[in-house]
Amino acid sequence: MASLNRKRIRLGNHDLPFQLVLLAFGIVTFFPLVLVIITSFKSNTQFYHNFWLPELPLHFGNYSSALRIIWRYIVNSVLYSGSTICLIAMIASVAGYVFARFIFPFKTALFLGFITLIMVPGVLTLAPRFVLVRDLGLVNTPGALISVWVSGGLVLSTWLMRSYFESLPQELFDAAYVDGAAEWQVFIYVSVPLARPMIATVAMTTLISTWNDLIWPLVTITDKDKMPLAMGLMQFSSDFETDWGTLFAGYVISSIPLLCVFAVAMRQFISGLTSGSIKA
Amino acid sequence: MLKRPTLVMLRRFATSPPDTKIERESQSALPLRMWRAKWLYLALLIPVAMLLVFEWLPAFSALYNSLYIWNGGKVHFYVGLEHYERMLSDRTFRVAITNLLGFVFFRVIMQTVLPFFAAEMIINLRSARWSYWWKIIFVFPMVVPTILNYLIWRFIYNPQVGLLNEGLKLIGLEQYAQAWLGDPNTVMWALAFVRFPWLPTLQFLIILGGLQTIPQEVHESAAIDGAGFWRRLFYIDIPMTKRQITLAMILTMLFMTQRFDLFLVMTDGGPGYSSMVPALQLYQSAFHFLEFGYASAIGVVLFVAMLALTVVNLRVSAGATTG
Repeated sequence: MASLNRKRIRLGNHDLPFQLVLLAFGIVTFFPLVLVIITSFKSNTQFYHNFWLPELPLHFGNYSSALRIIWRYIVNSVLYSGSTICLIAMIASVAGYVFARFIFPFKTALFLGFITLIMVPGVLTLAPRFVLVRDLGLVNTPGALISVWVSGGLVLSTWLMRSYFESLPQELFDAAYVDGAAEWQVFIYVSVPLARPMIATVAMTTLISTWNDLIWPLVTITDKDKMPLAMGLMQFSSDFETDWGTLFAGYVISSIPLLCVFAVAMRQFISGLTSGSIKA
Repeated sequence: MLKRPTLVMLRRFATSPPDTKIERESQSALPLRMWRAKWLYLALLIPVAMLLVFEWLPAFSALYNSLYIWNGGKVHFYVGLEHYERMLSDRTFRVAITNLLGFVFFRVIMQTVLPFFAAEMIINLRSARWSYWWKIIFVFPMVVPTILNYLIWRFIYNPQVGLLNEGLKLIGLEQYAQAWLGDPNTVMWALAFVRFPWLPTLQFLIILGGLQTIPQEVHESAAIDGAGFWRRLFYIDIPMTKRQITLAMILTMLFMTQRFDLFLVMTDGGPGYSSMVPALQLYQSAFHFLEFGYASAIGVVLFVAMLALTVVNLRVSAGATTG
């Protein structure tokens, strides 16, 4: 974060007013979350009796009974999103590499076939895509989710990978060719390791969008055992509608997986997005 | 070890810089060139096939079937532009459009102004460490699944034990407590404030990135000329991040127009159809009433509207930058 270390000309002599406004902002933002965490340790009587404050004894039982239901949704989501991310990373880096490094007939036309899809919104294709997936016999299988998530994610990912590979200096590749590397070796041993930051970005955006997708699972998955987390939470919230403690314990648990990812990858994610790489 | 001719042949495919070998290459016959690129086509086979089947096919199917009455199965006959005519007289659709316009207007302002001010304050902090931590803090809510936000806000608006009504009770304004999502007069306002004042992660990071790239010298000379906070804001920071602000606005508009999970989870369009939006109506037409033709027609209208919106936006912002 080099940009943070340089001295800026600042307004006023103190941080205090800014800090206070930001603090107020932060409190309003996080207050509902804190209340959810507090309530997740309460029994229903405690909740109705004392709405705002934490109260002893803490009911850890809420967490075990919520976990019994939620774990399956989390495992499903990890499997679905994980396989989507792997497939997109592989397919998009190969496609991006081909588009970036070679000249061949119909290259422009093929690439336009990718990027014009950015303008096609998901709502336009929702209904016909459901019919298609149904006719392919994929309804209520993980295939319904993964196939559509992968093809949807490929559009932007291929573009990102292509521009990243194009930005790598030609000398790197020349060095590998001179050393006698075949094209696939150049790809695997030179290009992919260099593209790791961009692959991480692609993985992150794919994770966020698939993890939060509610509508597509809602129309294609009917089996409770196969629901991903977003849809499972809908189910969970109607199953435990008035059992507030368990309900909120489930809410807290369902935020933990992304919290772990956040802890590991956030530094990179923020610096990647704010380093000025995004220009309209 | 590769032989020299192989190396030359490999280099021939490399894109940059355009040299004479490529010139010669492009003069040979098209089928020959395509045959030479066969491995490249093979490498692109999977993504191209997937996009054709799962993206292009449904998109054209939507255009085509918007002219048909279709239940998603055997019932399928041509009605021409009837669906589009029906939209003009469909009261639900009219309410949905009005709701969407108001909602998008409100959200675009909220999701541009809030991140802008937060970012502006963060980069103005003297302490680099705090400025880093505030960034982390405001991006942090991203870990909460989107759907969970909606469920939590459903709890906030809950008429019996909701956070909002309890809060009003706490400060003695009990008479204002009400069923926020159950009243046609308050439901759209309630929905517009969902997630307030959470910063939308992507828009926040885009604007923050823009503000960080303003050269320090510009701020220095403004300070020497005696420009205060507001002057600097309106004459330097906003004009210099115009592109990022436009991008954030376009993204918000596009998200809000096509995402309807908020409405689906919070109200399902109710009470009555007072919180209906077009995308939700599309969903209900297809999956509740099996009117896949009408749903496709709504999809086509939304698609055209979003396309026009983006084009106009880009034009306007391009004109504003050059002029």
